[in-house]
Amino acid sequence: MDPVKLTIDGREVAATKGQTVIQAAAEAGISIPHYCYHPKLAIAGNCRMCLVEIEKMPKLQIACNTQVAEGMAVKTQSAKVVEARRAVMEFLLINHPLDCPICDQAGECRLQDYYMEHDLKGSRFEERKERDRKREIFGPHVVFDGERCVKCTRCVRFVQEVTRTEELTVVNRGDQSTIALFPGKILDNPLSANVVDICPVGALTDRDFRFKVRVWYLKKTASVCPGCSTGCNVSVESYQNRIVRFKPRVNEAVNSHWICDEGRYCFHSLTDGERLSAPLIRQEGGLVPTDWETALHVALSGLRAAAPLAGIVSGRNTNEEAFLFARLMKRLSSEAALEVFYRERALTETEKILMSPDRSPNFRGARDMGAGTDGNHNSLAARLLEGKFRGAYLVGEDLAALEGDGGIEQRRALEKLAFLVVQDSRLTATAKLAHVVLPATHFGEKEGTYTNRRGRVQKLNAAVVPPAGALQDWQIFARLLSKMGDGRSFAGPAQIFQAISEEIPAYRGLTYERVGDQGVLLAGETKRL
Amino acid sequence: MEKVLLRNVDAPESHTLEVYRARGGYRAWEKALREMAPERVTDEVKASNLRGRGGAGFPTGMKWGFVPKDNPKPKYVVCNADESEPGTFKDRLLIEKDPHAVIEGTMIAAYAIQSHTAFIYIRGELSFGATVLQNALDEAERAGYLGKNILGTGYDLDVILHRGAGAYICGEETGLLASLEGGKGWPKVKPPFPATHGLFGCPTVVNNVETLAAVPWIIDRGAAQYTALGTEKSKGTKLFSVSGHIQRPGVYEVEMGYSFKRFLEEDCGGVRNGKKLKGVIPGGASMPVLRAEEIDGVTMDYESFQAAGTLLGSGGVIVMDDSTCMVRAAWNIARFFAHESCGQCSPCREGCHWMEKIFRRIEHGEGRAGDLDLIQSISGNIAGNTICPFGDAASWPAAAFIKKYREEFEEHITKKKCVRME
Amino acid sequence: MAVEFSPEARQKFEKIVARYPKKDGAMLPVLYLAQREFGYLSTEAIEYVAKIMELPAARVYGVVTFYTMLNMKPIGRHHIQVCRTLPCALVGAERIAASIKKKLGIGTGETTADGRFTLSEVECLASCGSGPMMQVNDDYYEDLTEEKVDKILERLK
Repeated sequence: MDPVKLTIDGREVAATKGQTVIQAAAEAGISIPHYCYHPKLAIAGNCRMCLVEIEKMPKLQIACNTQVAEGMAVKTQSAKVVEARRAVMEFLLINHPLDCPICDQAGECRLQDYYMEHDLKGSRFEERKERDRKREIFGPHVVFDGERCVKCTRCVRFVQEVTRTEELTVVNRGDQSTIALFPGKILDNPLSANVVDICPVGALTDRDFRFKVRVWYLKKTASVCPGCSTGCNVSVESYQNRIVRFKPRVNEAVNSHWICDEGRYCFHSLTDGERLSAPLIRQEGGLVPTDWETALHVALSGLRAAAPLAGIVSGRNTNEEAFLFARLMKRLSSEAALEVFYRERALTETEKILMSPDRSPNFRGARDMGAGTDGNHNSLAARLLEGKFRGAYLVGEDLAALEGDGGIEQRRALEKLAFLVVQDSRLTATAKLAHVVLPATHFGEKEGTYTNRRGRVQKLNAAVVPPAGALQDWQIFARLLSKMGDGRSFAGPAQIFQAISEEIPAYRGLTYERVGDQGVLLAGETKRL
Repeated sequence: MEKVLLRNVDAPESHTLEVYRARGGYRAWEKALREMAPERVTDEVKASNLRGRGGAGFPTGMKWGFVPKDNPKPKYVVCNADESEPGTFKDRLLIEKDPHAVIEGTMIAAYAIQSHTAFIYIRGELSFGATVLQNALDEAERAGYLGKNILGTGYDLDVILHRGAGAYICGEETGLLASLEGGKGWPKVKPPFPATHGLFGCPTVVNNVETLAAVPWIIDRGAAQYTALGTEKSKGTKLFSVSGHIQRPGVYEVEMGYSFKRFLEEDCGGVRNGKKLKGVIPGGASMPVLRAEEIDGVTMDYESFQAAGTLLGSGGVIVMDDSTCMVRAAWNIARFFAHESCGQCSPCREGCHWMEKIFRRIEHGEGRAGDLDLIQSISGNIAGNTICPFGDAASWPAAAFIKKYREEFEEHITKKKCVRME
Repeated sequence: MAVEFSPEARQKFEKIVARYPKKDGAMLPVLYLAQREFGYLSTEAIEYVAKIMELPAARVYGVVTFYTMLNMKPIGRHHIQVCRTLPCALVGAERIAASIKKKLGIGTGETTADGRFTLSEVECLASCGSGPMMQVNDDYYEDLTEEKVDKILERLK
């Protein structure tokens, strides 16, 4: 990597040979306006927004395709550059409907942002605008507005270069150019909604999210996707304490700039439905609400009397929760069989770009915490079916509602148990079979860490507040442990992580702070996507 | 003057191998293959100062010299026969009347850069030309000038005739390559340049028909004879296609440096029907127009046209007499470029159509005060800021027409109608 | 009826493709072949070309819409294309186009009811010294006058 020194707007900038001006500038914190350039896509050079002035070059050059050179002097704010940029803005807007008040992109639109920055005057365009298709459904998640499109071709390049599914193309030429699908085809590849994220304007919008809320009202929480054990970094975006969308968060060691569609929309199934707001205990006639003290007492005494015990924790539980769960179950019975819920399915080649075959984002971490003692989830489930256990503690998975293999059998097996504790955020089919139901939280309400398939420890953050009456899973375990006389008190995920770093060899030396918003790799793991 | 480019076109059956050979054809090819190392061929072309005749005027030998010798990838030569610049029809004449010269030039270029596959990209509409060229290629192959182990030298060369499908932009070097790769004719961002990353990412030379047709003569006679023709800086001869209001339209071969006025008045017989000259575009529709009085003293070479505020371009001379409505002419050209913009980059995609709409309005009596300055401004915002030279090609004529005939445009706007074509 | 090349066309296809250093390069000749074979390039024809070219259908579709000589709709037996660009316009192209419209009773972009003629006005066809001119299918007709056009149209059945 040969170092190259250049100046940008008079500032000396250190870059490396082979870098482009736009990259070198970005690293130096100088953002050069652009539409078509995307760090993960081939250079198209078509928007012309990143034109900059380079000393000794008579014409303006596009920063996205100009390599840095020793001693190069770049100006990104000279009168000539600003004028060229205003001209590009004007060109892009002449056929644009200027419908920001009803456009879902408003607030995160580059046309809007740059317009404001460049203080454009009213339009000089007084001709008839060219029309294009409006509200064309591209696929299950994406809708297209041709009149707002700036033909940057980011979406086309994405389906060509990243998914290699190439559903989209540019048709026609000149000002009739527009983005299109092949007639009769739809945009439904497993990563399709990423085109919405990379669309710099309001041409491609998210069918699930559009018109729900103006983006400037969104609260954004850096977190990890609970969809599978790839652990894609996401921004969980919420409004009035409801999660309304996921956006990918860049992490080159995990998901780069992308997330899959299944992960993107998984928050619906994980958060929808009525929440439990009080613990329930089984009495004559069914489950009745009670207070936490009573519920925890009944749960504890019931489990103590129901050995042999099985414990199943969800792969969506955090390391901190799994750590306490394992500690609790071992204290209840040294013979307790513990497992982390896990199922695999086959993936297509396109799915494999990002997705893991499971839906247990913290499968690996929870096992690291000691919550897997029984070989694997299938063998424990088999033993459950064979009636090998008298009592069970199930956390966060609705075993009785499993589709296909085993749902009904699981249900029968659970019905036969002498004592069943179910901890979940909703009154699931499984919870309805329980003797004690403990209301807990979902992924979006909790803080903690996940360890992805490749051994990267990443931080989950609470985006929304749980309903009154529910407790965090770690709190429930901590209170049960304390009732059992565990001398160590746990005040929150950070303290639990501290205990993990002391007790779990692979996590030795890690600190909660170091996990940060990009995660850390466990010792001995190699970095790769 | 001895003809270099039109040396064969008037001979009966000039398109046949028999006639071509009888007139000295393929002598240069044999000479190059048998007597000259590839670099020597390039050196000879460099020494001739031959410049690209497609419009840009880039030195041909230098272009060949840019092809890296140590690159292990295959190398390609592409003859650009996508002649589409309005007012230009010289390549078509060479293709139809002297196809072997075009082929021989292409072959020599291929040998010079050690390419084993060459293409002739001919515009799709030239169906007759394509037939003539294909027949000539077949003849050349049968005669052993093409194919495997050519003339026993061990050198192999295949020349593929490839038809375009209707897109002016494919005449632009990288648009042509994109088209030849099976895509839309979308010009590519540069760098990298075709010499290193051309067709399918391999080193590639693209030369215009007229450029390549001059090469056999240069190799046969030697660079010195070529440089003996022309001016100090513009060497050799150039084809001019003459159209519009002229007595004798057609293709003329002119020694560089010839008087433009004399050419129009004597060689071409002057403006037809006894009318007076109003303006002339000397280098194809994308070049700035000259008013009648501006042609005094202009000579037909790169430097003199440039000094006059226009460019030699493709040598497409469009003559307009004093009955011409310059607004309508400007609108016509603007419409051409709006129709042909590939749509890839913002200024050209949006700007060409915008200018066309304004010109159309003015011509139809709906012009407004400020329109002319607006066009000038749009034109200035396109020029120099696009992926390929099309942006310049579309904006220069628009700006020039207004600059040179502003009073006529203003008259259209104030009188709210076309005052000339009633 | 399934859209598919005849054995002869299939053979031509194989021959064309074999010559190109990369299969993609054969796109235009193969599209021409398909257009000749099927009359025009329907979405089915494009899908078929995509299949045999081993390319995504959307890419082929984009290419077809880019070039003026590739038609996605059926056209008349004789495709009249009158050049409208400046050199021809200077010497009477508009008059020629108007007379054809009047004679055939159709406008630009339209096809006569009997399917005999489609009329297009096109950009420069590199015949500027012999304008006004038109192209009918593959043939150029130059130095046109209204009388000459009448005779040409009569001949084209």
